[in-house]
Amino acid sequence: MNAIIRKFLWLCRRRRREEELADELAFHLEEEAEGRGYDAARRDLGNIGLIKEDTRAMWGWIWIEQLLQDVRYAVTMLKNPAFTALAALSLALGIGANTAIYSFMDAVIMRWLPVRDPRSLALLQWHSQIGRKADSVVQGASGHFDDDPKLGRVGGIFPYPAFEELQKSTNVFSTLFAYHPSRKLTVMIGGEAEVASGEYVSGDFFRGLGVAPEAGRLIASDDDRAGTDVVVLSYGFAQRRFGDVARAAGQKIFLNSLPFTVAGVTPPGFYGVDSGSAPEFYLPLRADMALDPRDGGERSKARYLDRHYYWMEMMGRLRPGVTLKEAQAQVGPVFENWVASTAENDEQRADLPKFLLSEGARGGDRMRRNYEDALVTLMTMVALILAIACANIANLLLARSTARRREIAVRLSIGASRSRVIRQLLTESVLLASIGGAAGVVVAYWSVPVLRAMLASGTSFTIRAELNWHVLAVTGALTIITGVLFGLAPALQATRVDVMPVLKESRTAEPRGRRAPFSLSQVLVIAQIAISVVLVAAAGLFVRTLSKLQSLDVGFRRENLLVFKLNAKQVGHRPGELPAFYRAIEHRLSTIPGVVSVAEADSALIGDGAWGWAVVPLGHPKPEHAPTGHGSFDGWENTHVLQADSHFFSTVNVPLIAGRVFDEHDRAGSAPVAIVNEAWVKANLAGQNPVGDRLVSFGMDDKPVEMEVVGVVKNAMYNRIEENFPATVYLPLDQNLGVPVEEMTFLLRTSGDPLKYAGSVREIVHEADARVPVTNLASQEQRIEQHIGDEILFARLSAGFALLALSIACVGLYGTMSYMVARRTGEIGIRMALGVPRGRVMWMIMGQVAMLVAVGLAIGLPMTYAASRLVGSLLYGVKPGDPASMATAVATMLVAVIAAGYAPARRASRIDPVVALRSE
Amino acid sequence: MNRKLDLLQGTLDLLILRTLIAGPAHGHAIAKHIQRTSEELLQVETGSLYPALHRLEAKGWIEASWELSDKGKRARYYKLTREGRKQLSSERSKWDAFVRAMGLILAASERS
Repeated sequence: MNAIIRKFLWLCRRRRREEELADELAFHLEEEAEGRGYDAARRDLGNIGLIKEDTRAMWGWIWIEQLLQDVRYAVTMLKNPAFTALAALSLALGIGANTAIYSFMDAVIMRWLPVRDPRSLALLQWHSQIGRKADSVVQGASGHFDDDPKLGRVGGIFPYPAFEELQKSTNVFSTLFAYHPSRKLTVMIGGEAEVASGEYVSGDFFRGLGVAPEAGRLIASDDDRAGTDVVVLSYGFAQRRFGDVARAAGQKIFLNSLPFTVAGVTPPGFYGVDSGSAPEFYLPLRADMALDPRDGGERSKARYLDRHYYWMEMMGRLRPGVTLKEAQAQVGPVFENWVASTAENDEQRADLPKFLLSEGARGGDRMRRNYEDALVTLMTMVALILAIACANIANLLLARSTARRREIAVRLSIGASRSRVIRQLLTESVLLASIGGAAGVVVAYWSVPVLRAMLASGTSFTIRAELNWHVLAVTGALTIITGVLFGLAPALQATRVDVMPVLKESRTAEPRGRRAPFSLSQVLVIAQIAISVVLVAAAGLFVRTLSKLQSLDVGFRRENLLVFKLNAKQVGHRPGELPAFYRAIEHRLSTIPGVVSVAEADSALIGDGAWGWAVVPLGHPKPEHAPTGHGSFDGWENTHVLQADSHFFSTVNVPLIAGRVFDEHDRAGSAPVAIVNEAWVKANLAGQNPVGDRLVSFGMDDKPVEMEVVGVVKNAMYNRIEENFPATVYLPLDQNLGVPVEEMTFLLRTSGDPLKYAGSVREIVHEADARVPVTNLASQEQRIEQHIGDEILFARLSAGFALLALSIACVGLYGTMSYMVARRTGEIGIRMALGVPRGRVMWMIMGQVAMLVAVGLAIGLPMTYAASRLVGSLLYGVKPGDPASMATAVATMLVAVIAAGYAPARRASRIDPVVALRSE
Repeated sequence: MNRKLDLLQGTLDLLILRTLIAGPAHGHAIAKHIQRTSEELLQVETGSLYPALHRLEAKGWIEASWELSDKGKRARYYKLTREGRKQLSSERSKWDAFVRAMGLILAASERS
């Protein structure tokens, strides 16, 4: 303590102590000179500056003083506005891009759930090689599988009996809870309806997560029973609908026109267990029996007993002291024995799911799996941009430190130690980096919400990217590392001088020294060119992927088509009344002036998923693995099925090739009919005309229904945009031979911009029944854009990043060449005086540029080829190492570099030999 | 032949403290005293002396004041503090132990 006070007092009396030290040393010199003469004494004493420096260092807290000194000095040096602005701008863009992308990475990949002790949470999954065509114990599912390159198919969904078995037979979890997402429900509060989705959760969900209610209470174990009327709202939803969350508890609300009571509200930051989801409400598991009834609820009840129906997601909280490995060792065999007991034949036994317990601190991993590759790619791109920016500034500093060689030599000669000078130079570069970093945070602050909005429009995920302390800490660290990184090489080079020759040199002379093949600044430029070519080529690949996707023929006319959905059943209309209700609305819609035609269907063509099951010509065997389901069916043998009315084909413009389209005679009770597309004919009948033939459809419950093929239509995309058209069978809506339709999709062919008609649509629906919300209202083009939103965003971002990289690299090249020309002014002047024509001088400089580019490309192109293989999973219709993309990248680089090199070359050719020689 | 010895790391502090036992002295006198007493074997570099003096001062083992020298010039005189005396005796016993240890090892290696 004493020591600190003493040091502090000393620090205050610093100036006097400086004088005292000078006096003390002067006295020493005098004493010494008395015996041996001044010169000898002076020689003996050595470097007084250094002694002072060393002595001062003993006073303590010296580093603060030196830092202040350095910063003060650095600020003076940075008052060169053009230099500072250019450097800070390229750093701001580099650091800003890194911060923005990192904030997404933080949100998607790294962030922990905002619950108590997230590290003791574990996520339950299984993996298997389940062949898509072979028989397996997984006979029905609701949820997602992911394909993992190492583990095969990974599933996070389990049968309900498995949940019960694990609860009963394991003891490594203090709580084990299950949940599954709800479908969209119509929520009616105070006469105002909206469509929202939530989560069904088991009774231990909130207790297991350790979440405390913001208001009221949360769902508890005894809420989970058939007939429950308890609902818990998310903070955001409660606030939006009730204003004050405290008022929400105890309120009556209607879900799908059934009465529920709001028990409580979750805390503000809580978003369930999946970083990509945003449930608006939470319901006890068994509420789904009333809200999600299939076949009068019998099927919903049966799901709880079905040992082959996979749908429950599970997490557990490990007991204190239990490791993930120990838990896996105990739970694994329990699950695997249980699953073995559900196998019914050898084929099913051949590939049983294997248990997989992973850390659950970050919640479910769907979004991670979906976006990890893309984010890592983007992160690499922005890191490379920052590297280019760093190289740029290193180059600028290098040029400047060469100009400052005399200053540095003087400082070294009067006793500054080398490390002290390096520290001074690093202070300058870190200060510069800090300016860039601060500006970068501003860049990120503006760009994160923009990116988030762009992403939100394209995906079903909620991404909570923001500039939190975690992100800012990383940015701070990045800034300092950047400053040291780009400052170190110039600082080392600048201080590695032989003092005497530099001081003797005239001010304009070339620094002498051994000739390396490339100077440090040329190496930096080559590196910039190599990195830029990688980024430009990558952008080329992503842009070509996008243009492939956008130019694919979807098989119908996507322009001027308005799509929206209604679900009248959820507000209380009885199933029997639905067709008439929807038909009346369809009729009203067709009277809007400008609406050419209106159709009803059970699904839109793109972006809704698709229903599918086995549909084969009569007499053909039923394919083994074509379960009835909704979603995507990679490699399964389902036929896509769409139920549509008689106006459908003319409204979306899918042309009829043979036979007829549906008409008003195809109604409930009349002879079942179907229309097939060309792809189905090709797959099942080798292209023969099937009109008049019969086929068998195995719809709900695999019940075979015979139908007559009345028409063949051209192919159209259904579910998603891909290379091949799916085999599709269309059924008439009115015959109701597919899945019972609750929610109806309306399609309007309009003249002119379809969104102009949105107002009229809402008005008509409101008049028909004010309680029915209009949902998913969008033009078909918007839906397609949304569907390929990730690809669009990715292509735009990578193109933007490539442009940024290219311009930063060009600025670097321009700076380096300008500096070189300025340095060689004298030499060029002599050449010109000796008769070298101006054109030759220009070519001499451009030749240098060409050499740098050639070396840069020679390094960059193999890197590009290797890198493009790593992003193969993000490409569509374009091969890694695509020659067109590579060629475009090379051409772009050449044009950019020639443009950057031209001005300095021209300046060199304009040198006036007289002026140049005189300035020597 | 160079008979001068390099100072061992850390011994300069001990030498300065020991020199100041005799009474206050300025930097030059301290250097000369060490040189003389060691029969010119030890030469204290000015570049080490002043940093060492200021370090000891910062630690509070010696304190400095401006006085007039014998020749009537202003000089910075250093003198031992109480803490400095304590430090000297502890440094000294450490040094003795070190010398004894060195002696034992060197003698042992001669015998073998």
